[in-house]
Order: sequence, then C-alpha cells, then structure tokens
Amino acid sequence: MIGNPKWFERRKYGGWGIHPKTWQGWLYIAIILIPFVMFQALPYWDNETRMYVTIGWVAFLLLDTTHIMVALKRDERESKIESMSERNAAWVMVLILAVGILYEAISSALQQTFKVNIFLIIALFGGMIVKTISNIILERRAL
Amino acid sequence: MKTRIKEFRARHNLTQEDLARKVGVRRETIVFLEKGKYNPSLQLAHDVAKALKTTIEELFIFGK
Repeated sequence: MIGNPKWFERRKYGGWGIHPKTWQGWLYIAIILIPFVMFQALPYWDNETRMYVTIGWVAFLLLDTTHIMVALKRDERESKIESMSERNAAWVMVLILAVGILYEAISSALQQTFKVNIFLIIALFGGMIVKTISNIILERRAL
Repeated sequence: MKTRIKEFRARHNLTQEDLARKVGVRRETIVFLEKGKYNPSLQLAHDVAKALKTTIEELFIFGK
C-alpha cells in the first residue's frame, strides 16, 4: 500500500471516507489522479484497455483507502463521537429506505402492479443482517 | 464531574500534548477531560491518574 495514514484524517463533516491532512496527502492524490486522467485523455488506447485500467485503478484506490481508514487511529472520545454520528446517519437512511419501499409498494399497488425496487429491500435487509451480526459479536466481546 | 487534571498536570510540568501522548489520546480529549465535559472510560481514567502519579479518586470529583 502506498498511502500513509499519517497524511490523512477521517472525514467528519460532509460525508464519509478520508481527506488529506498534510501536503503529502495532497501529493498522493495528485500522483494517483494525474496519470489516470492523462491516460484517459490520450487517444492511443482502445475501450477494452481503458476499461481494464479503470477497474484496476478503482480497485487500487478502494484497497488503499480501506487500508488507510483501518490504520487511522482514533481515541475513545473520537470513537464514541463517530459511533453516535454513524448511528444517527444509519437511522435517517433506514427511515428514508423504509418510506421509499412503502411509497413504491403503495403507488404500484394502486396501479394493480406490485413492484418494489429490489435494491431498496436488499439495502434494508443487508443493514438488518449487519446489525444482528454486530450485536452478536459485540455482546460476547469484552468492550 | 469535575477534574483536577490541570492542577496535577501543572505540578508535573506537563503540557496537554505531553499528557495526551503519554495516555495515547488526542490533545482535544485532554481539553474536554479538564473541562469535565468528557466522561472517560475506567481504563483512560486509570491511565491519566497513573501518568500524573495519583489516583482516580484524587483526580476526578464526582458530584452527588
């Protein structure tokens, strides 16, 4: 992995993920981004090459970002704050998902065709499964 | 909850940053601890008391 966790900090305001804290972090982004943009701007490659390079680039970015996020240390106060804000965000998302499913179910039923977006249901059940597994693991672990 | 962290820290000539480094937290956490605006875990309270060579009872004053 290339990115050093010391160059970044967790995004607290305006989303999830990380953002650069030091000039090395900005340099890292430039080094990752500029060659990719230049590659895409050049006319020499066919669509298949572009697609494979994009997949590789996105995969690397995801892996490196995950590595940085996992390695970023938080003290107990930060962990508490993050847990509470993530919980609040999760509640809003669950509420909106549930309202969305209900809206789709009712509006489609009124038109005599029952149709609900499967991804909304998967998201809701996925969240439920993750919550259940988390509770099972955390209740057994010494916190 | 009130704390005497600032007083003990001054006695040992430690800055907030020094204490934070000793107990493995961010300086902001020490700031909030000193203001009595953060309820630490027993582990952190123990670590802070140990770093300031005192006891939890001496350091943290719990109101009734």
